[in-house]
Amino acid sequence: MIYLELFLSFVKIGFTSFGGMSMVPVIMEEMGRHGWMSAGDISNLIAIAEMTPGSLGVNCATFAGTQTAGFLGGLAAVTGVLTPAFTLTLAVAVFFARFRTSGVMKAVLTVVKPICIGMILLVILTLGEGSFFPQGRFDYVAALIAVVCFVLIRWKKVSVPLLIGLSAAMGIVCYGLLGLG
Amino acid sequence: MSKSKLKIGLELFWIFLKIGCFTFGSGWSVLAQLEQEFVDKRKAITKSDLLELTTVGKSVPGIMITNICMLFGYQMGGWFGGVCAVVGLTVPAVFILTAVTFFYDAVKGNPWFGYAMRGIGGAVVAIISGAAVSLGKEALRRWSAVLICAAAFLLGLLTDISNIALILIGVVGALCWYGVRLGLEKKKGGDGK
Repeated sequence: MIYLELFLSFVKIGFTSFGGMSMVPVIMEEMGRHGWMSAGDISNLIAIAEMTPGSLGVNCATFAGTQTAGFLGGLAAVTGVLTPAFTLTLAVAVFFARFRTSGVMKAVLTVVKPICIGMILLVILTLGEGSFFPQGRFDYVAALIAVVCFVLIRWKKVSVPLLIGLSAAMGIVCYGLLGLG
Repeated sequence: MSKSKLKIGLELFWIFLKIGCFTFGSGWSVLAQLEQEFVDKRKAITKSDLLELTTVGKSVPGIMITNICMLFGYQMGGWFGGVCAVVGLTVPAVFILTAVTFFYDAVKGNPWFGYAMRGIGGAVVAIISGAAVSLGKEALRRWSAVLICAAAFLLGLLTDISNIALILIGVVGALCWYGVRLGLEKKKGGDGK
């Protein structure tokens, strides 16, 4: 059953994510494994999740679930991605005083965070290939847009929704009006 | 469940529903709104307590901000309060994203939308790279961390190992390392601090 599969996939995604973009590699893997979404879809998913209000995790789950199996699919995916909060975090809340002083999660994060970064680097490779080499040809416009955006986000602290709007405008001008690429 | 907890829960649901409508830019804006509403206005929690909830919420797997809302809601009104806070925060996002998804499906075939999405494709690579740099600055301060990162990258690149397996290996490894360290400390028998 598709709803149960979506739910279970997002339970896995929820329990193996440790903040922000660390969720993206596992989403990509689960979507690809079930044939629900391609790498290009994932790129759109990230853009849409970052542009709309709400956390990246909830937005990704809703979009991926709704794309795959309609409104109920979205609901199943969101319930899945919230499962850690309703179980593990609730347990932590109950034993808050004891958990706070224990170093066990700190030890786990020290090891898992670097692993997440390694996985995110792999995602960058996959998405970069899709964006910069569509159909095997080098798309210098997309590469240029990426460089400009990276500079803006790292050194000018431009907000992400604004950056996505800017890059959409650049895409329309360069590909649509000027016929480049 | 007592009547007062029910009332607190419903109140939390309503407050988080409102906060959920305006959470641009990851969870940090939610935290700012929590501080305004519960620290400054209602004096229901101190700033340092909220910071502590944040630190713990960040260290539990899952979505950071929903974890923090769960911890916060629990402190205010037990498990029901926690669930109400999380559901309240999530509902607006689900409705907005559902609408956006149907809109996306409707315009997907349009060539101009395609041009915009090709441009956005470049931006997404830059956004994730930016996130990787920030994360790296925070998490790759030691050579051991750089080695773990490189090992995960190479394993993912050269083998078919799944991301979930990589993370599980990391968690188990970390727990072993923690256990050994705890054992060694016990052996030393509490000399020093």
